[in-house]
Amino acid sequence: MADLITINVDGKDVQVPAKIQLIEALRTYARTETPAFCYHQDLKVAGNCRICLVEVDGPRGFALAISCHMQTAPGMKVRTQVSSEKIVKLRKGVMEFLLVNHPLDCPICDKAGECTLQEHYMGQGRHESRLDDATGKQYKGGADYRFIDAKGQDRGGKMIDLGPTIVLDQERCIICTRCVRFMDDVAKSPQLDIAGRGDHAYITTFPGEPLDHAYDLNTTDICPVGALTAKHFRFQQRAWLLKSVESIDPSDALGANLVIEYNNGRVWRLMPRRNPEVNKSWIANSTRMLYQDLARNRLTDGKLNGADTTLASALASALAALKAGKRVALVASGHLTSEDNAALLALCASLPGQSEVFGGSWLPVGKSDGIARSGDPVANRKGVALLGIPDNLDALAGRAKEFDVLVVVGHDLWGAAAAKAAALESIPTRIVLSSWVDASVAKATIAIGIRAWAEVRGSMVNINGRVQLLQACPVVPNAELEPAWKVLAQLSAAGKPFSWSSEIDGWKAIQARVPQLASLSYRSIGPSGAIIPLAPLPAAAGV
Amino acid sequence: MTTLHGFPQPAQWKGKDLPRILSRLFQVDDGHRLEVAKRHGAYHTIGSTLFDKSQFELIELVKDSGLRGRGGAGFPTGMKWSFVPRGTGKPVYLVINADEGEPGTFKDRLCMSRDPHLLLEGMIITGFALGVRTAYIYVRGEMLPQIGRLNDAIQEAYAAGLLGENIQGSGYSLDIFVHRGAGAYICGEETGLINSLEGFKGQPRLKPPFPAVSGAFAAPTVVNNVETIMAVPYILQHGAKGYRQWGTDKSPGSKLFSVAGDVNAPGVYEVPLGMPYMEFFELAGGLKGELLGCIPGGSSAPVLNAEETRKATMDYESLASLKSMLGSGAVTPFNSATDVPRYLQTIARFYAHESCGQCTPCREGTGYVDRVLDKVVDGHGRNGDLELIKDLADSYEWTTICAFAPGAAWPIQSFITKFRTHFQAYIEKNPEHAKPRELELERAGAFW
Ligand SMILES: Cc1cc2nc3c(=O)[nH]c(=O)nc-3n(C[C@H](O)[C@H](O)[C@H](O)COP(=O)(O)O)c2cc1C
Ligand code: SF4
Ligand code: SF4
Repeated sequence: MADLITINVDGKDVQVPAKIQLIEALRTYARTETPAFCYHQDLKVAGNCRICLVEVDGPRGFALAISCHMQTAPGMKVRTQVSSEKIVKLRKGVMEFLLVNHPLDCPICDKAGECTLQEHYMGQGRHESRLDDATGKQYKGGADYRFIDAKGQDRGGKMIDLGPTIVLDQERCIICTRCVRFMDDVAKSPQLDIAGRGDHAYITTFPGEPLDHAYDLNTTDICPVGALTAKHFRFQQRAWLLKSVESIDPSDALGANLVIEYNNGRVWRLMPRRNPEVNKSWIANSTRMLYQDLARNRLTDGKLNGADTTLASALASALAALKAGKRVALVASGHLTSEDNAALLALCASLPGQSEVFGGSWLPVGKSDGIARSGDPVANRKGVALLGIPDNLDALAGRAKEFDVLVVVGHDLWGAAAAKAAALESIPTRIVLSSWVDASVAKATIAIGIRAWAEVRGSMVNINGRVQLLQACPVVPNAELEPAWKVLAQLSAAGKPFSWSSEIDGWKAIQARVPQLASLSYRSIGPSGAIIPLAPLPAAAGV
Repeated sequence: MTTLHGFPQPAQWKGKDLPRILSRLFQVDDGHRLEVAKRHGAYHTIGSTLFDKSQFELIELVKDSGLRGRGGAGFPTGMKWSFVPRGTGKPVYLVINADEGEPGTFKDRLCMSRDPHLLLEGMIITGFALGVRTAYIYVRGEMLPQIGRLNDAIQEAYAAGLLGENIQGSGYSLDIFVHRGAGAYICGEETGLINSLEGFKGQPRLKPPFPAVSGAFAAPTVVNNVETIMAVPYILQHGAKGYRQWGTDKSPGSKLFSVAGDVNAPGVYEVPLGMPYMEFFELAGGLKGELLGCIPGGSSAPVLNAEETRKATMDYESLASLKSMLGSGAVTPFNSATDVPRYLQTIARFYAHESCGQCTPCREGTGYVDRVLDKVVDGHGRNGDLELIKDLADSYEWTTICAFAPGAAWPIQSFITKFRTHFQAYIEKNPEHAKPRELELERAGAFW
């Protein structure tokens, strides 16, 4: 940890790291709640909202300063709302200014419940409005604010279609420029800007240009008010009704941290979860949209030769096939948790016939975008490799004729490369465990539905060697669906059965195979993940 | 005496010479042409007078002269120059602030059209003192004649070897570019100006870093007003003592004052600092009507009432003691026929229109104050509105990125306090002015 210095906040000495933003020191170390609208941990400082004002001692006594722009220095003396009446009054003033031209229609605003303006009004404002009708406000949602620009695009006013994913309600914008800075500095595609000056300034795209970046939905998260809203979530649910579990991006090997938010038997949205080491505060639009697949095209039961059947009968058929199988090929999956893959290894060891585990993926690997995707679509590629599973799908295709039973788990081989997978069709019994009715299910002789990524608990290892956890959201399309590892454990009845009571047993099985993980537990991995220790620490190393 | 429009100043006043440090060529025909200017002594310093001095000596000289910035803040110029870090490996830029946006101010534009060569001479000296290779003159976009004059003068100077590579064989090189702004008051604020110069939206930057450390193109930058730099050649030629023969101890030298409003001969005057305002009004042809008050230094400067005006002298100390400021030197006296609330309304409208819109308090506050004032002037005022206006101005006075907001607050606070009866009279025009404001919840349909 960096060296600590002492600063004085409201008369009390506090130990803080040197040269961090004062607002962080106040919030994290001095535990002094400090409001902010424009400040965001993962964006450049703009210092325009002015609500984080504090008094800082300087050569000419205590002077006003914004805590987001100041950095901590030894001996710094700070007065916050706790000890300074002036700060209380000025922050009230800022709140009054922010609200003077802001509509007061929270009940019909989509952001209500997770709106920074509401929060800080309760925290710092609570003033009775002094605005009377004769004075009037700049209501930017009004018809007189709407105009058609030189390129024929609709601008100003309410419900402006900014692009494929986002709608703008101009009257709610508080000109904090978070969205502008996100597009400029993170997305590196400056598509938004503030036009005009004074209280007639407004947020807009450039004439004739849409807002259409692959990460643009992050602007709806960081917008402190209900100005930018996502088309897919707008007016679907009230924010306070949503319950959440923490998980990670299953579609990319970076494993961007996210939150699954659900209510009423449905997942409504995926939100980025801040992890400074992984994805900062961002996720890609494509990751965010994965929630839609959770309720779409699911394999909720079993299939026998393409015909629907119950899970139980599909399982029974699979058991029989495995019992009779002489040479069984099992295909591991980097799309599933390490626990699932450990179960596959355990199944392989338990089967009566000769069996062999194959691994790898036929999906093309792209390039990192430098934000929240590594470009490798196989989320747990590292985890599978750590278990000692080889990358040898092509070898399997070449040796297909040697096998009489194929088991594919959570891995759409035919979807990834139908031509290569065609060789596998020579294996007479093809058992596919899948969450979706995909191309591989179509080629399966026996298909068994399993839970999808959002519905299981387990771990994955990301491209940088960070073990991260997935947590199970209780929303499932069919309550009888089980995670892959459980189905695999049931299939082990075909030989020497093994039984796990939970994912923890799976984790223990992983630890048995991978000594580097011996010191980690689900608890120590925690919500932000843990880097795999390179080698077990020598006993004498201390610390 | 030839009075050219804009500069009605007599050569002598009350039997004494008036200073001609800045206005030497203002009444000379074709004084803007190099040939004519040279005949009157332009560029005399650009030779051994300048190049035999060290950078340190030049900065000390300007420090000793006591020259203070004429753009508004009155910051000591030599001290500002001494903040420029040496040996950073980055170029040092000199930027001349010719945005002249402060309402009531019209001196820089006269300087640029009458004597552009004095500005260039000052820039060469300053450039040499600070090790500048490239300098800019940022001119308000509307000032087309001045831009033309400057560009012509620069061309003449290049042709005469006074600009460009190896000036007069000294080994020192300087290029000067004129940059045309788009006409925004906030582009006169030095960091807003730098943003605009770089091609960004003219919005002030967060400080620190200050421009002297990281300004234009992230390099050390000195921003000075036109008039400030035009005083430098005189100081070099006549020494700090020569400059200090004018003015007071703390406000040495002369200053251009642009006077408008209720005087008989409005225009630009060059007078020694420290002259009483009342004497100055005499110089400007005398007051029209009975003095009610005076804005002593541009619309941002807190207004003085008649009594204060009578006491005030035109220097930094006197105005500071009256809690106002010399500002840009725009003097606007008004007489008892003035409709004060409407007067302030115009000023408030200006600030609401010109706020760059970054900071919450300034963006929303200037507009809010403007709307409440409109309401009062329209006869819908209520008791309490004046307190509200004053309170709003107090709220944005010191809580923003740049000095625009205090400059917008001061006229509001000072007018309302010093001329309260005028505003109260407007409020009382509303027959319902004493009726208390209905509470939100009791008002039908008030929810939205
Ligand atoms: C809102 C605002 C507007 C300003 N406008 C001008 C201007 O038009 N011209 C100017 O010379 N200085 C202006 N200034 C002052 C400059 O920021 C800066 O202090 C000045 O250019 C420095 O030059 P000086 O030291 O020579 O006065 C303005 C300041 C503020 C806050
Ligand atoms: S749209 Fe939202 S994020 Fe963008 S400037 Fe307005 S309030 Fe800030
Ligand atoms: S104080 Fe006003 S003009 Fe200055 S930066 Fe802030 S909003 Fe812009």
